[in-house]
Amino acid sequence: MTIFTLIIINKAGGLVYNKAFHDAGLNKISTNDYLVLAGTFHGVHAITTRLNPAKNVPDRATITATPAAPAGILTRPEPPSGLEVLETENFRLQCFNTMTGTKFLLFTDTTQTNVDVTMRRVYEMYSDYVMKNPFYQLEMPIRCDIFDRKLLSHIREINNR
Amino acid sequence: MVIYSFYIFDRHTECIYSKSWLPPSADGSAPPQSSGAAGSIADRRSTRQAGDDAKLIFGTVFSLRNMVRKLGGDDDAFISYRTGQYKLHFYETASNLRMVLLTDTAAPSMRNVLHQIYINLWVEYVVKNPLSPVEHKGGVGVKNELFELGLDQFVRGLM
Repeated sequence: MTIFTLIIINKAGGLVYNKAFHDAGLNKISTNDYLVLAGTFHGVHAITTRLNPAKNVPDRATITATPAAPAGILTRPEPPSGLEVLETENFRLQCFNTMTGTKFLLFTDTTQTNVDVTMRRVYEMYSDYVMKNPFYQLEMPIRCDIFDRKLLSHIREINNR
Repeated sequence: MVIYSFYIFDRHTECIYSKSWLPPSADGSAPPQSSGAAGSIADRRSTRQAGDDAKLIFGTVFSLRNMVRKLGGDDDAFISYRTGQYKLHFYETASNLRMVLLTDTAAPSMRNVLHQIYINLWVEYVVKNPLSPVEHKGGVGVKNELFELGLDQFVRGLM
């Protein structure tokens, strides 16, 4: 059970944070390649949202007339979400898209469990130590010492479990 | 488990076969009994959409495969991804033939299913067909009766 890497992508598809926690597992790629990867993933994520085979044309009739809704209350179906989990032979990628469009990507090995919990914890740390940092400029690369330290100690604990 | 659709892409990135198991009303196109110009426009829209979908799916799968190879090494293979609404399964043969299956999110790994389709249907009915060309430009040689029937039966057996 290992968490390999964390990547944070801002809402424009730019890489704002990347950190490897484990030397083996994933190939080492340059920061430039990470930037390309972030941009590619951002685009692919947008496409996967559109590729919903179950309802290609969300027209007004299906939005207003949901059978499960109580009478008189208009409900709209959940907006389609993009890629959430990607599985390959060597690793697993979990993506969490916040309400504001920031994406958190956690690369783990294929047997890692409870990635949701870890993801939530990482998001909490991001909110506490990055968003509450008065010197942090929005959408810019994250350089917060305390975020780094807290993240590292948390992930190390999981990786040594 | 629900299977939505199935696509085959050749090594020239062309979609040579696609099939959808969605009921006509669920995929947004008009039911077939609707008559006149409205029906034909809806049909045209749904076929255009199917073509666009195939291109989008290929783009997605291609990008993700390259990303996975870069990170996981050249021997790594992209298996599937899941969103809140559907799950996409991917299988690539040594000859760069790519097969894609879209199912609901609860489906287990369909890698062996795609492998079976390749072995038992593609190789048997398309590759071994003496009348089928080597390159299936525009889907020539793929849409034969045995392959379509076999695929439909196999997939309906899974649902």
